[in-house]
Amino acid sequence: MVDLALLIGGPQGGGIESAGQIGVRALVMKGYDIFGVREYHSNIIGAHSYFNIRIRDTVARSPRLPVDAVVALDAESVFTHMDDVREGGIFVYDTSTLKTRVDRIAPMPGPLKERVKAKLSQHGLGDTVADAVKYLESRGAKLLGIDLKAAIKEVAEKSGRSVVSVARAANVVGLSAALAFLGVEKEYVHRAIEAYFAGKTRVIEPNKIAADIAYDYVEESYGLGNLPDGPHKGKVRMVASGNDVVAMGKVVGGLTVQTYYPITPAADEALYMEGHRLVEVREELAEKVGLEKLGVAVIQTEDEISAINMAIGAALAGARSATTTSGPGFALMNEAISMAYIMEAPVVITIWQRAGPSTGMATRTGQQDLLHAMFAGHGDAVKIVVASGDHEEAFYDAIKALNWAEKFQIPVVHLVDKTLAASTKSLDRFDLDSITIDRGKLSYEWSGGEYLRYKLTEDGISPRVPVGFAKQLNSSLEHTEYGYAIEDPEVRNAMVEKRLKKLDAIERGIPEDERVKVYGSSDADITIISWGTVKGPVLDAMEKLEDEGIKVRYVHIKTFIPFPVRTIDEAFKSASRVAVVDYNMLAQTSLAIRMFTGHKAPHVIQKFTGRALQEQEIVRAVKEILENNVERVVVSDGA
Amino acid sequence: MARSWLEYRSPAWVQWCPGCGNYGILTAAFKAFAELDLDPAKTVVVSGIGCSSRIPYYINVTGVHTIHGRPIPVATGIKLANPHLTVLVMSGDGDLLGIGAAHFVALGRRNADITVVMHDNAVYGLTKGQAGPTLPAWVQTKALRAPNIQDALNPLLLAIASGYTFVARAYAYHVDKLKDIIKEAIKHRGAAFIDVLQPCPTYNNVMTQQWYEQRIYYIDEQEPDYDATIKSPEERSEKVARAIAKAMEWGDRIPLGIIYRDLTKEPFDARIEKIMPGYLEHPPATRPVHYEGKPLVDPFKVFTDRVVQA
Repeated sequence: MVDLALLIGGPQGGGIESAGQIGVRALVMKGYDIFGVREYHSNIIGAHSYFNIRIRDTVARSPRLPVDAVVALDAESVFTHMDDVREGGIFVYDTSTLKTRVDRIAPMPGPLKERVKAKLSQHGLGDTVADAVKYLESRGAKLLGIDLKAAIKEVAEKSGRSVVSVARAANVVGLSAALAFLGVEKEYVHRAIEAYFAGKTRVIEPNKIAADIAYDYVEESYGLGNLPDGPHKGKVRMVASGNDVVAMGKVVGGLTVQTYYPITPAADEALYMEGHRLVEVREELAEKVGLEKLGVAVIQTEDEISAINMAIGAALAGARSATTTSGPGFALMNEAISMAYIMEAPVVITIWQRAGPSTGMATRTGQQDLLHAMFAGHGDAVKIVVASGDHEEAFYDAIKALNWAEKFQIPVVHLVDKTLAASTKSLDRFDLDSITIDRGKLSYEWSGGEYLRYKLTEDGISPRVPVGFAKQLNSSLEHTEYGYAIEDPEVRNAMVEKRLKKLDAIERGIPEDERVKVYGSSDADITIISWGTVKGPVLDAMEKLEDEGIKVRYVHIKTFIPFPVRTIDEAFKSASRVAVVDYNMLAQTSLAIRMFTGHKAPHVIQKFTGRALQEQEIVRAVKEILENNVERVVVSDGA
Repeated sequence: MARSWLEYRSPAWVQWCPGCGNYGILTAAFKAFAELDLDPAKTVVVSGIGCSSRIPYYINVTGVHTIHGRPIPVATGIKLANPHLTVLVMSGDGDLLGIGAAHFVALGRRNADITVVMHDNAVYGLTKGQAGPTLPAWVQTKALRAPNIQDALNPLLLAIASGYTFVARAYAYHVDKLKDIIKEAIKHRGAAFIDVLQPCPTYNNVMTQQWYEQRIYYIDEQEPDYDATIKSPEERSEKVARAIAKAMEWGDRIPLGIIYRDLTKEPFDARIEKIMPGYLEHPPATRPVHYEGKPLVDPFKVFTDRVVQA
């Protein structure tokens, strides 16, 4: 079985993202399943960033530490990740930095410097990269030193370019050295470089030379590794980030308007979509709809308030409409969420959660906006809240969210997070036949006399004719069936009842198997309940724990409104032990569970650092709970 | 004329105070819509919050009554989704230039083909008379506990600076003159702004009917040679300067009429068409999104930059 992990670190602006993407592509071409997540600072250039890639012949879905290979492109990366490589793993570093002292590294956080110095001094070592290398040797790592300065000079000479213009290719030298060692053939790295820098010949050539230099060096000094091809060899696959797949889901799901105000980590979704604002219609359907290309209007607004209000306006006019944001932006959208609810406007809000409170740690992850999403909107405003656990879920959920918004004429929040946004996954073809696009009671024609936008109906959902196709009133005030403002007690009651009926329709219309997924069986030693990107690390930890004789059941919540009351209730009743994984301070998931089911989770596993949750953290936490009956386990792996 | 202006009256009771300037604006809108023979289904009046923002209930066209300060983004969304609709924003000075100022500026920058009719009475009427963004400093209207210590902003200058391509001022009690300006604004292809001076007989006891009528004059009557219509880009700096000078007039004499017009800037929908050909013919509101429930897009055919051959 192949299960490898590779970490590549360096300064932001130093091509860490490119190295990660090239690495992921090379490994996918080699036939493996890949999950790669990028950790980075809120900074453009200089601060430390790294990419953690998981390589498996089964399913890759979480990062893990320690890794099998670290590529440290600068001194800070050596110090930061000197404990992240396993015994016998490879550690690639730049020999031209050997004399660099910890205190000379300006971007490195002071407390980390102190921890590194203390650790090295415990081992009787000084505070240079050379000392860290000795420390790594003592831990049993295989050191692979490359003089990156000299390598870049060589790239410049061989490509006939200036040293400055090819300096960033240091990332490919480092990455290639690790891949050569692991046994990935050079042709995959070349192909990955060509694919990633598609068409940019002036970038492709020096990078291929950089790969050659690394491969030659490793071959001469250590010998190339040997890795069999992975099981996906020969397949056509996709390599996409969470941001990408949500954009894809929306476009496939028939989105026609997307608004946004720039915010991390949501903006990349909108940008990716904007790059694909004109898409080809499936060949077999082009003639049927009479169009070869479809447009998606992606509009950058002046703020998030405008983004949501514009999306609502577009929805009123008949567009399939969404906006994308993060916690701070969603906070600004609050008032309009309530308007969308009373106006019965179908709109989707994608929330890419990041670490708060306030601006907090803008490029880090978390699940801190669960209650925010559930309760946003003043005055009894309700919405559907759906959360995605991985790339595939996110793709299909983006479509579902659009369907539910139009079917139930209600705002839908799609909760995702920075881990998903910044992680890259290998994906197989989506099942297009399983996708249905549902626009509910939408019609572009009206011939039934005066059109009543808020007509009282059996299921609380009124026929929807867009603005422009029947004279109508849409009102944020309590209103009559036509839409006139009114405060009459009986009409008020009728309208509240109408909106309540709609909630019943949602209860009936979203079955339990769309609200929750259960992995494992009820005779497990422990049941873990969680949601979102906790899924990958928990499923991976389940496998590891199973090997050690510990059986885990995982209950993965997909929708918080409507809540999977029956399944959660049953899980508590049948489980010998229950732990909730809650990536936030308040244990918000546990609170939601208690609110809807009355069950109080006896154990909670929490993380606050904003770094992606990892497999080994769950393994450790579960053992801690089972062995010591600990109520609250806080994990914090990852630099 | 195909429709009588009476057809644009809704059956709803109009809840404004007797003598309110909103009545004049309402009547002018009826008449303008009738003279332009606007289709009630395809004409959309979007408002925010405040006394004037009740207007969608009173006009028998499609109406959208939104929340405080946000009629412009909602209207922009409607127009974006369906550029073939006639879209107006009718809202107060507090709504558009107080809480909604960011959107007011953004509409100018987009030059979206939307007409903004600002009911400008310099007070927040529905919350009982606080100072609006167009109330001059040191004025103390009757509901204020102290004189206003915040300066008035100049809506015309802000509109010009923001990029509106039609900027006018009118007076609420001169219904026919106002009606003509509303018609011109609707016909204009681009963001149009009309600052409608409007006495509030209940709360603004300073800027009254008498106060206005002593000061206002019509540019086209008194300065027939005034021309601030930009027909080619070379005229811009000269005509903008002229319009700004006119927009600065305030005090003993207050000019009314079309202050500024720029016929050279393309509206938002034309800009979108340029980067997304086919937009005008198949806009987001009506373009197909599925065929018998099946998706129209295959991600592996469209997002080829993410496809990898293993």
